[in-house]
Amino acid sequence: MMASLRKLRYVAAKDLLIIAKDRGSWMTLLVTPLVVIVVTSFALAPVYRGGSLHATLLVTNNDRGSIGRSLVDTLKTNANMSVQPASEAESQTLKRGGSTYALSLVIPADFSSRVMAGQSSALTVYEDPNSTTSGPFLKGMLNGTVNRFSAVEVATRVAVAEAQKANPAASTAAVAGNASAAATAQMADQPIKTDVRTASGLKTLNTFDIQTPGFAVMFLLFGVMIGAEGLLEERDKGTLGRLLVAPISKTSIMGGKLAAQFAVSISQITLLFAIGHFAFGMDLGNSLLGLALMVTMTAFTATTFGLLLAAIARTRRQASAIGILTILLMSALGGSWWPLDIVPDFMQKLGHITINAWALDGIRGLILHGEGFSDILPQAGVLFIYGSVCFIIGIKMFRFRNA
Amino acid sequence: MPESIVTADHLVKRYGELAAVDGVSFSIAEGQIFGFLGPNGAGKTTTISILSTYLEPTSGEAAIDGISVIREPARVRGIIGLVPQEIALYPTLSALQNLKFYGRMYGLSGERLERRCRDVLELVELWERRDDRVERFSGGMKRRINLGAGLLHHPRFLLLDEPTVGVDPQSREHIFDTIFKIRDAGTTILYTSHYMEEVELLCDRIAIMDRGRVIADGTLKELLKMLGEGGVIELEVSPPGCPAHLEDELARQEAVTSVRHEGNRLFISSADSARSLAPVMQKLAGAGCQVASLELYSPTLEKLFIHLTGKELRE
Ligand SMILES: Nc1ncnc2c1ncn2[C@@H]1O[C@H](COP(=O)(O)OP(=O)(O)OP(=O)(O)O)[C@@H](O)[C@H]1O
Ligand SMILES: [Mg+2]
Repeated sequence: MMASLRKLRYVAAKDLLIIAKDRGSWMTLLVTPLVVIVVTSFALAPVYRGGSLHATLLVTNNDRGSIGRSLVDTLKTNANMSVQPASEAESQTLKRGGSTYALSLVIPADFSSRVMAGQSSALTVYEDPNSTTSGPFLKGMLNGTVNRFSAVEVATRVAVAEAQKANPAASTAAVAGNASAAATAQMADQPIKTDVRTASGLKTLNTFDIQTPGFAVMFLLFGVMIGAEGLLEERDKGTLGRLLVAPISKTSIMGGKLAAQFAVSISQITLLFAIGHFAFGMDLGNSLLGLALMVTMTAFTATTFGLLLAAIARTRRQASAIGILTILLMSALGGSWWPLDIVPDFMQKLGHITINAWALDGIRGLILHGEGFSDILPQAGVLFIYGSVCFIIGIKMFRFRNA
Repeated sequence: MPESIVTADHLVKRYGELAAVDGVSFSIAEGQIFGFLGPNGAGKTTTISILSTYLEPTSGEAAIDGISVIREPARVRGIIGLVPQEIALYPTLSALQNLKFYGRMYGLSGERLERRCRDVLELVELWERRDDRVERFSGGMKRRINLGAGLLHHPRFLLLDEPTVGVDPQSREHIFDTIFKIRDAGTTILYTSHYMEEVELLCDRIAIMDRGRVIADGTLKELLKMLGEGGVIELEVSPPGCPAHLEDELARQEAVTSVRHEGNRLFISSADSARSLAPVMQKLAGAGCQVASLELYSPTLEKLFIHLTGKELRE
């Protein structure tokens, strides 16, 4: 018993030494995932973090009057938007100086005079129908501003009507002019303000909080795939056969190899999280114990997935072919590439056939939603069962000898 | 004759229709080098795999030092060493790291492990290269480490499966020296090869294998005797039919021990071919036979193999 355990440890130590000496392993385990995490986190930051989106609006102001100028000035005060003057042709095509834009505004020549006269007026907006982020975002902000100028027009019309009721002989032009000027000035002050606060328990999103766990889990699976190939390589090259005729049990051989893979997996995901946290401010949530449990269970399940892969594949090439396909599929379905709450309901359900979905539900729950230890126990439990099933099938199916 | 340490009794290993090993029996005396000579696919590796407990035979029985390889494989594993036909080493680990790992698998540790690794590396003369990765070694050097990894625990019975494949003559010499040293230290060795010079040089007893069967087995001398004590005179004669009716008369010539013919070829075994040659030629000439070609040779395993199977040892 003691001797078996000692030999198991030596097998594990030998595997760890081989992995440590292999630059290719380091690339797949750490360097590649880091590159992917950093690139996608920076690239996707504006998509996930709507509040800090910034876009440029093309504006053609054909109006010489003060209201048109005032509208443009008000738009310019919006910190999330830049205003780019453009010709009418440029606004119509949304193209200017080699760049393309999502939205443009054309202010007609009679805009000021109509508003000042208390008459309704129309602004023209050109949009790119395919813009899903900047376009709607600009349109929303533009509507907010335009509504304020509608209020000026309404105020002017009401003032003129009231003045005529009081004194039908009074000059409507003078009343309209004064009313619109006063209304414009008062509107600039925005009499009804909205006070936006962060909902309690929620915080500004750091894209690393989403991307790091997602890709860490995906590359964890690629890591165990390399392990599976290594196991098949031992079988092909005859080193496994050599062990089989040595006084060491199959249990010690396989136990040592799985222990090594498990240790590698835990280290890999821990290092990726540590780098995410210390270098890029990724949140680790409120329960480090919960996170440790999720990391352990995810690494366990991944390790058994590797065993299953080695058991199903006849050759190393097959292991990598089957591995790449299933890992990419699991990552897409299971939320490694984007959080599952943005996909349709049935896709979310389907996604939960994957290791990724259960792992990420737990990990992102802790990191993004501030869940605690007891909240992630169901996910940890499912992963444990998942891993145990993979282990039992894998161990039963794995052939120690070449066919 | 010393006691047998290895016995194999009617071993059979089938892969579907094919019998890779088809009723192989032999025994090896303690301290001997026993050779398995046979062409590719003869069943050498399969037999070794059964003896080393890697494969279970379809039927038959084998025992090492009285322990059944089928019923008590775990006990057998402790006293045997296998050097597989392929280089079964971890290429990215150093020579020493490889040996230490295998040594530990055989239960060696501490001081003893260190010493055995050093002894073995010195034996195969690679102590200076101990810290180099195995993948940077030449083919012959890899073979030597592959051999060394099977010796660490002083096995009582060592199985060597073609340990010299792809090795230059110098490295081969080297491996031979090592094998003799191991034998002299008391280890019984099973050596497989398809090079007859190797088994001729190394082995105390030889079994010739073909198509899963042992077709001849004995000491080199015993085997060669099957071809004739002294040498063979091989002649190609014409016209056809000429050899047949001369056989008896030729057999009575000086020193001739046996005569055989195959088509228009005559094989005359002789205790002293030099003395037999002149009378044989005379008889042939007298009978009106023309000699198209003549070959004189000492019996070799190669010739024996052709004699027994009708085909060359090396394809
Ligand atoms: N796992 C297997 N499945 C099917 N057939 C096999 C298997 N292993 C060996 N054989 C067949 O058994 C026969 C004997 O093979 P074996 O490897 O024992 O020959 P060998 O004498 O060692 O040859 P070589 O000199 O080429 O190493 C061959 O015909 C081989 O194709
Ligand atoms: Mg062979």
